[in-house]
Amino acid sequence: MTTYEKIKKLFVDSLGLNEEALKPEATLDSLGLDSLDRIEFMFVLEDEFKIKIPDREVKITTIQDMVDAIDRLIVEQHAV
Amino acid sequence: MRKVAVTGIGIVSPVGNTASEAFDNLMEGKSGVGRITADFAKQLSTTLAAEVSLNMSDHFSLKQLRHFDRTTQLALLASEQAWGDSGITLSDEERESSGVYIGTGLGGAVSIEEVSYQLFKKEALRISPLSVTKIMCNASASHISMRYGLRGPCLTFSTACSSSAIAIGEAYRLIKAGLADVIVAGGTESLITYASMKAWESLGVLALEDEDAPAASCKPFSKDRTGFVLGESSAMVFLEEMEKAKKRGATIYGEVVGYGSTADACHITGPSLDGQVRAIRQALAEASLGTDAIDYINAHGTATSVNDVIETQAIKTTFGGLAYSIPISSTKSMHGHLMGAAGAVEFVITLLSIRNKAIPPTAHLKIPDPECDLDYVPNIGRTGLNVRTAMTNSFAFGGTNAVLIVRKV
Repeated sequence: MTTYEKIKKLFVDSLGLNEEALKPEATLDSLGLDSLDRIEFMFVLEDEFKIKIPDREVKITTIQDMVDAIDRLIVEQHAV
Repeated sequence: MRKVAVTGIGIVSPVGNTASEAFDNLMEGKSGVGRITADFAKQLSTTLAAEVSLNMSDHFSLKQLRHFDRTTQLALLASEQAWGDSGITLSDEERESSGVYIGTGLGGAVSIEEVSYQLFKKEALRISPLSVTKIMCNASASHISMRYGLRGPCLTFSTACSSSAIAIGEAYRLIKAGLADVIVAGGTESLITYASMKAWESLGVLALEDEDAPAASCKPFSKDRTGFVLGESSAMVFLEEMEKAKKRGATIYGEVVGYGSTADACHITGPSLDGQVRAIRQALAEASLGTDAIDYINAHGTATSVNDVIETQAIKTTFGGLAYSIPISSTKSMHGHLMGAAGAVEFVITLLSIRNKAIPPTAHLKIPDPECDLDYVPNIGRTGLNVRTAMTNSFAFGGTNAVLIVRKV
């Protein structure tokens, strides 16, 4: 499963979002995520991908931004 | 002088999930008490509770279920009924002066327990950012205000078992004083959790299980009473300035005419005759009513050995010889002790006794107690009665007493 597919599944399973709305270009705002949902979802992502998301990554606007950030963090943090 | 009408009611409870269903079941003496089915029940010596049976996912989205503690879920369901029942349409300007007054004892008890479990048992290093907003006592009031855009005072009262009677009483006074025209008032509570059950168990106030009929374990005013059964519920009422309600042709369930609020200032759990008597007298005085005016009393009636005797004495002290001719019932025998929601649920039942000309019974009252010798409407409800004015008592741990009087309009 790609990072995008995994994220999509997490959105559906943990936040109950409609899969069809989860296009790469969809913004978190358009998905109806408020500030609390975002913090909670960041925790979900951290647990799933075994990464630590620094505060600056909160600037994520779209799902594609999220995919890119996670792929980058995996490389940075899982590289020994 | 401004008057206060009740123009909408809503109940989610162990005896029914609408006000009329709950009242009908109470009239028939049907109990909502049963054995707890959750896993933790095997670690309890008292396994009884009065639970709400509703599938919450039928009523809330996954997102809402994550954001709302069960207390708030119940509150939103009850307020939705009360709001719909009122049939009101408020302008944006009217919403600015409309309020929400809610009573709750523990707030998000289920969420506190979930979070504690994660931290202590599962050794989680962090918990959901929604924890605070689910647990805080004012969450229910806030979510109601947000749902209906009510932007006036949004307050939460926490005085244990009298919380929601206090909320309704304070809301009534605010409208009467001209500081608001519309208030959604009531209470909510959901604390059937392992820790909470253990805590109540330790206090020794929970009813012992009636082996033949668990649902009949709570026996207020009966000689063999052993205490109450914890319950969960929410009840909401729509309070509205009388002229406004009449002008729009609203259904008026009754008029709130008196409220008494006193503190015992003597013991954290023990009741005080003086505190109760003063609360009843205050409510009668505010209503400008004599002791001959009350046609029904919905008692606090917790079925603890002490409460029922002191409450009986308080009624006798206040009403003198008339006390013997007033029908009094404790519906806690069937819906359990609903803590922060108790006052509001019993307030709605009291209102419906006027509207339905019927008085629900004190169920499971089989053995008379010489120290409780009033007319407690034992076991069989009464119909065809002209209930014009009725009173409901709420006497709490912590010593905060609340008495509300409603009148037929």
